[in-house]
Amino acid sequence: MNRPGTDDRPDRLYTLTSGRSRPSREDLDLVTLIVAESGPTAGLSSELAAILRLCVHPTSVVEISAELGLPVSITKILVSDLLDAGRATARHPRYTASGRPELDPATLEKVLVGLRAL
Amino acid sequence: MSPTRARSAMFVWGVTTGALAGVVAFAAPAEGEGFAWAVGGAAVASVTSGLAAWFRARERLARDRYSALEADAVRFADTTLPAALTRVAEGATAERVLAEFTRTGKRAALAPARPEQVRALQQAVRALGRSEARRAAALAACANAAGRMQAMSTSALAELREMEERHQDSDVLADLLHVDHRTAQAGRLADSIAVLSGARSGRRWARPIAMESVLRGAMGRIAGYRRVRLRAVPPSLAIAGHAAEGVMHVLAELLDNACNFSPPSTEVHAYVSEVPAGLLVTVEDSGLTMSDSALRRAEQAVSGQAPDLSALTGTRLGLAVVGHLARKHDLTVSFRPSATGGTAVLVLVPRHLISRTDEPAAATPASAATPAPAAGGSETAAARPAGGTIPSQRTPVGAAGAGATADALPRRRPAERQAPAAGSPADAPVARHDASTTEPPSSGSGSGSGSGSGSTLPRRRRGQTFAAAHPGGLPHTPGAVPDGGDRPAPSPRPAAHGARFHAFRQAVTGQAGENSTTPRASDSASAEDR
Repeated sequence: MNRPGTDDRPDRLYTLTSGRSRPSREDLDLVTLIVAESGPTAGLSSELAAILRLCVHPTSVVEISAELGLPVSITKILVSDLLDAGRATARHPRYTASGRPELDPATLEKVLVGLRAL
Repeated sequence: MSPTRARSAMFVWGVTTGALAGVVAFAAPAEGEGFAWAVGGAAVASVTSGLAAWFRARERLARDRYSALEADAVRFADTTLPAALTRVAEGATAERVLAEFTRTGKRAALAPARPEQVRALQQAVRALGRSEARRAAALAACANAAGRMQAMSTSALAELREMEERHQDSDVLADLLHVDHRTAQAGRLADSIAVLSGARSGRRWARPIAMESVLRGAMGRIAGYRRVRLRAVPPSLAIAGHAAEGVMHVLAELLDNACNFSPPSTEVHAYVSEVPAGLLVTVEDSGLTMSDSALRRAEQAVSGQAPDLSALTGTRLGLAVVGHLARKHDLTVSFRPSATGGTAVLVLVPRHLISRTDEPAAATPASAATPAPAAGGSETAAARPAGGTIPSQRTPVGAAGAGATADALPRRRPAERQAPAAGSPADAPVARHDASTTEPPSSGSGSGSGSGSGSTLPRRRRGQTFAAAHPGGLPHTPGAVPDGGDRPAPSPRPAAHGARFHAFRQAVTGQAGENSTTPRASDSASAEDR
């Protein structure tokens, strides 16, 4: 019954978030880039410290999630904590698309085809 | 001469002389009355004295017999019976003990002397044997049931974890976390019953568990985990895998006690400090100070002496469990009044249960398996003494960040950092060739070896590709690289971009938890393909 590898860590997710299941900000999505604004300090939990280390370079939420081995929803909560504390900033992809509100559907399709072909 | 024969001889002698005297008296009436009276008196006196001697001997005999019986009984009650019962309590079967306590057995010196004592001993020993067998059977059934409950809660927790990975909706996640918490508490109760009934501990961790995870695992099993504050947990300390579960359970019980016996609005603090004897965990609450007698009782419960299950009440299992586990793992648990007004519990984990992870980041659970955070951890650890904080993106990170990490970090391979950015189209194929021949495809190998043999593989640098691909920076993001001064132009080859996109797509669509290393692996793999 005890399957090694599937649940190979003792800490439960709710202890990471103090029981919260909803991030304090709703504007984070999978590809929001997170940038650390300061290094990890002594009092931080290891996950927050790891996020700050990862985000020395802009890193998307989904990548953080994959690196930490945590669900995206939990990662979002941790990231919003960092954002609220001013330790990190977010760059939202919709604002980085050089000001254009929408991309040309044809372009998107090409990108999609290209991605599929990889 | 035996007392019986002496008694009979005396009796016979008295009666015979009396009778002879009587016969002489009646047979010679002519001799005169005086003589007859004299002979008759002698006969009576003789019979009387014979009878008196007979009664005295009989009384002495009875007294001797009585004292011998008394000595037998005292020996039986004070020595034989306790010794036999102790043997049964020690685990010997009733019949074996009865065989030992016979005149020919191993403990012949203590064997009961009289048949009624033998019967009494048989009854007592067999009754105790039956009771011991019942107790052992009940305990074994308890341990068995607790083990199954443990297994069920463990697998339920694993499944809940998978569900939590699957469901992104906040409401669903909230419910799942709630059920998760309940299940963890039920699991702790099963663990407690298992410990008290002498079963094997529930979970065994295959590797050392970081102290932070041990404490959080303990927190996750109690109702009031939100009130627990972890302070000063050294990231490099871990508990050996075989003892981690026990330490976690001890801390869970102590944290639960602290939460239960302090006002709900107060916090419970847990500190970890390293001392020469090992690792000291302090759990401090702000409740009432324990009275002296309560402190003594608590100390007694956790002192590691032989357990007494009869003192259990069913609702207060905690300290008994702590005592059991402390005995098992050589933990020292002590109580003292806390400086903040409540009670502080000190748990000393001996040094042989502690292992040390040199890299701070290796203490995080995920990074043990993935190379990137480990490298990042040593990077920041090395950079921290110098700068205090990581250079933010506002500073020219290309110069400062890269320089600092390249200098300070023995395990980071300089070529790796430069490969994606500085690798010109000309030398890139060579680098890839080297990588494909020297580095196995599994990405996990890079973390442990650190040899740098396959370091020229153009690994995607997290985020840097983005910056490198846009040397001018994103126009409105303040953190963009200001100028590409130190950074050469990005590789114009579309294949590299393709690989990066591929990695990104995998990261978005792939399973986040299990394939945490996949993007990197596929990155290199696809780079080699082209």
